[in-house]
Amino acid sequence: MPQVPLAGYLALASALFVIGAVGFLIRRNPLTMLMSIELMWNAGNLAFAAFARSFGDMSGQIFVFIVITVAAAEAAVALAIVVMVFRHRADVDVDEISVMRG
Amino acid sequence: MIVLFWLCAFVLLLSGLVVIASRQPVHSVVALIVNFSGLAVLFLTLSAEFLAMMQIIIYAGAILVLFLFVIALLTVGNQPVESGRGRLAFQALPAVVAGAGALAILWYGVRVAWSAGARRLPPDFGSVSVFGNELLTTHVFAFEVTAFVLLVAIVGVVMMAARKEVRF
Amino acid sequence: MDHHIAPPIPFILFFPLIGAVTIALLGPYADRRASGFVGTAAVFMSFVVTVWLAIVVWHLPIDQQATFTHSRFLGYWVDLPPYLVISFRMLVDPLSIVWMLIITGVGFLIHLYSVGYMAPDKNYRTFFAYMNLFVVAMLLVVMADNFLWLLVGWAGVGLASYLLIGFYYDRRSAVLAARKALIMNVIGDVGIMIAIFLMYAHFGSVAYQDVFSSLSRASVSSLNWIGVFLLVGAVAKSAQLPLQTWLPDAMEGPTPVSALIHAATMVTAGVYLVARAHPIYDHAPIAAGITAAIGGLTALFAATIGTVQYDIKRVLAYSTMSQIGYMMLAVGIGAYAAGAFHFVTHAFFKALLFMAAGIVIHNLSGEQDIRKMGGLAKRMPFAYWTFLAGTLAIAGIFPFAGFFSKDAVLDQALKLHHPWLQAAGTIAAFLTAFYMFRLLLLTFFTGAYRGAREPHHESPWTMTWPVAILAVLSLIGGWLVLPGHDLISGALAASFVDTRFGQFLGEFNWPLSIGTLVIAIAGITLAFALYELKSGAREWLRLRLAPVRALLMNAYYFDDVYHYALEMPSYALAGFFARYFERQAIGAIPRALAGLASFFAGISVGWETGYLRRYGLSIVVGVALLLAFYFFLTSAALGGR
Repeated sequence: MPQVPLAGYLALASALFVIGAVGFLIRRNPLTMLMSIELMWNAGNLAFAAFARSFGDMSGQIFVFIVITVAAAEAAVALAIVVMVFRHRADVDVDEISVMRG
Repeated sequence: MIVLFWLCAFVLLLSGLVVIASRQPVHSVVALIVNFSGLAVLFLTLSAEFLAMMQIIIYAGAILVLFLFVIALLTVGNQPVESGRGRLAFQALPAVVAGAGALAILWYGVRVAWSAGARRLPPDFGSVSVFGNELLTTHVFAFEVTAFVLLVAIVGVVMMAARKEVRF
Repeated sequence: MDHHIAPPIPFILFFPLIGAVTIALLGPYADRRASGFVGTAAVFMSFVVTVWLAIVVWHLPIDQQATFTHSRFLGYWVDLPPYLVISFRMLVDPLSIVWMLIITGVGFLIHLYSVGYMAPDKNYRTFFAYMNLFVVAMLLVVMADNFLWLLVGWAGVGLASYLLIGFYYDRRSAVLAARKALIMNVIGDVGIMIAIFLMYAHFGSVAYQDVFSSLSRASVSSLNWIGVFLLVGAVAKSAQLPLQTWLPDAMEGPTPVSALIHAATMVTAGVYLVARAHPIYDHAPIAAGITAAIGGLTALFAATIGTVQYDIKRVLAYSTMSQIGYMMLAVGIGAYAAGAFHFVTHAFFKALLFMAAGIVIHNLSGEQDIRKMGGLAKRMPFAYWTFLAGTLAIAGIFPFAGFFSKDAVLDQALKLHHPWLQAAGTIAAFLTAFYMFRLLLLTFFTGAYRGAREPHHESPWTMTWPVAILAVLSLIGGWLVLPGHDLISGALAASFVDTRFGQFLGEFNWPLSIGTLVIAIAGITLAFALYELKSGAREWLRLRLAPVRALLMNAYYFDDVYHYALEMPSYALAGFFARYFERQAIGAIPRALAGLASFFAGISVGWETGYLRRYGLSIVVGVALLLAFYFFLTSAALGGR
């Protein structure tokens, strides 16, 4: 079967990444923002795996594994923070949390 | 293979847009699950079987469920979560413009790699045994450090959960 | 030099130096009397070594005495051949030994006196540290072998003088006096510096040896300029016209300070300088002439002012000014031995007078106004007799010391054909006898002590013994020069072999001496007539000569002239700078910088909105820009695609 060239995967990964980035910037719900970040990570994972296949080096896949692990840890911590901050607020809006102004 | 690729690409992009665009967070989560599944299929096309499984089990299976729980905790009722334009002016347009600009540059750069072909891969490339071998010999240090990172995250979350109320 | 045990010359400097440092560092932790003991002992040990040195040097043949110089080499201070090489050598020729003997000897006696005199003061320890510092600096002046070290010591004694005049720092008058002294001294320092520059320019070195041996390289006018600038320094330090106004005010310092610094030693540094630089002055007739003229003029000037002062110490200050005028006169006309002789005797009787006056002041709990004193001869016999000895010496009465030394100066003036100077000196001698006896009579005889303060305890032995010793020296000190027999010029011969004028002082000019003695006795008689016999002469004179009296009491208005001509413009200028220039012109620079920093900070603060999404936006925009940068860079490197 003809292989999909590396560039295709990379183009897809960059598109996903930009979608995630824009999503992070235009949404105000912290959870949606976190999900956008997950999108960005996965875009990166895709790129790594594509490179691994392209160069025949397993290190790319190993790195994807590590990214998944760290992402899991980060998601846990970030969600814990979100819960703490927004537990007693009526509005779940990131723009309301601007204490570190100036 | 190419057809599969284009199909998956379409699914990924569409679900990605739904993730960032839907008003309800639960919808976003569902779209994200679809996204991850598509990604797993793509991993399979890249001879990364172990990764595909990991993606489904850990990412879709654990992390997104965690998201669902938090959404349940935070969002009471069915009211729309974001109302109004928000406090920041000049956020949406510059964001989209910057994103589009970055995408253009990245695609331009990717064109360079068009002609890079794939090598002949060994038949068990990406299999569990090869993956495990690599992980625990060549990259054992990263493996150990990852374990440490997880430990730090656990401790952090437990400490935060055990804290007294913090009002913002 | 070989068969004598060489004395440790550097120790002469080290003893008081270590003394000062020890007192400064350890003094506060020890009993206060320890500081006095350490200070006095240090100077005493220096004196012992100096005496030893003197004996060794004066046993050498004359030509070796002159080359005993440059004996101790302790390394280089400035080592830049061929531009400038200055070493830590010390000079111990007879001229410097004479000064060293007085500095350490009379200095020791004054330190001993201070142990008793300064006892009630709370800054007792500091006093001795400062005094030792002064001794070090003064010794440095006379032991230097080049003009640069001389300048270091010069500035050092200026500093010590400032510290000691302003010792009673909670008295505003004392602080102002110290400041005035320092400013005038610094003017002198600048003069010497310019002279050093000129010397370096003409001779390429500032060491005595080099300068004096290559005088022919410079023209007479250059030598005159060098002499004049050195004279500026000498005039400032020795309180001669026109830089004399600081000396009377310097009496704000404690009495031992007045005795040591402003009578016996520091103020004679100018005389030493001219004597040391005599090769220059021998070949610079204009500078030497100016020196002698200033000396003679000051001698007369100060003597006139002394006749109307009523503070004991001020009278003595003006008399010091006058006597140093004699010394400057002597060295100006080339009679260096006579000048040195007068320096020695003056040190004896002036220190004596100050210390005896100190005993009086001490007993009267600080009273210094002689109009309020009187009848003290019975109450304080010791002070009276010693003061009398000093007064007789300074008035030039045979057989006291002043008779011989003053006559030596006046005699040399005549011999070297300066009749005007001799006349000025004689008039000054008359006035000196007059006002010193006026002082004696007003203090110890006329009237009765009307002060509210009761005279109290007896003076301790530490105060009486030095005074007694100096009283004896004031009597016999002059006997170094007797008819046909001159110890002074014999002692100093080695230092002055190259001068034009013979220095022998043993040929007495009997008519001159008798004449001067008669004039002095006339002055004393006048003093008796005006102050002891109760005629109305004083009031009559006061009325008739009121403007003259005003002139004298205001010291010829020098202070006022300086105040209006120099001080007020300086204050105005300083005020202008402080108020306007500093604040607006120079202050504007930091203000502008602060404004700039604020401006940029204001812009940057705009970034810190606290909004998470904003930060994200800036990150994404930054990433996009970076990507663009790198991609176009690499595509340019790859030749574009």
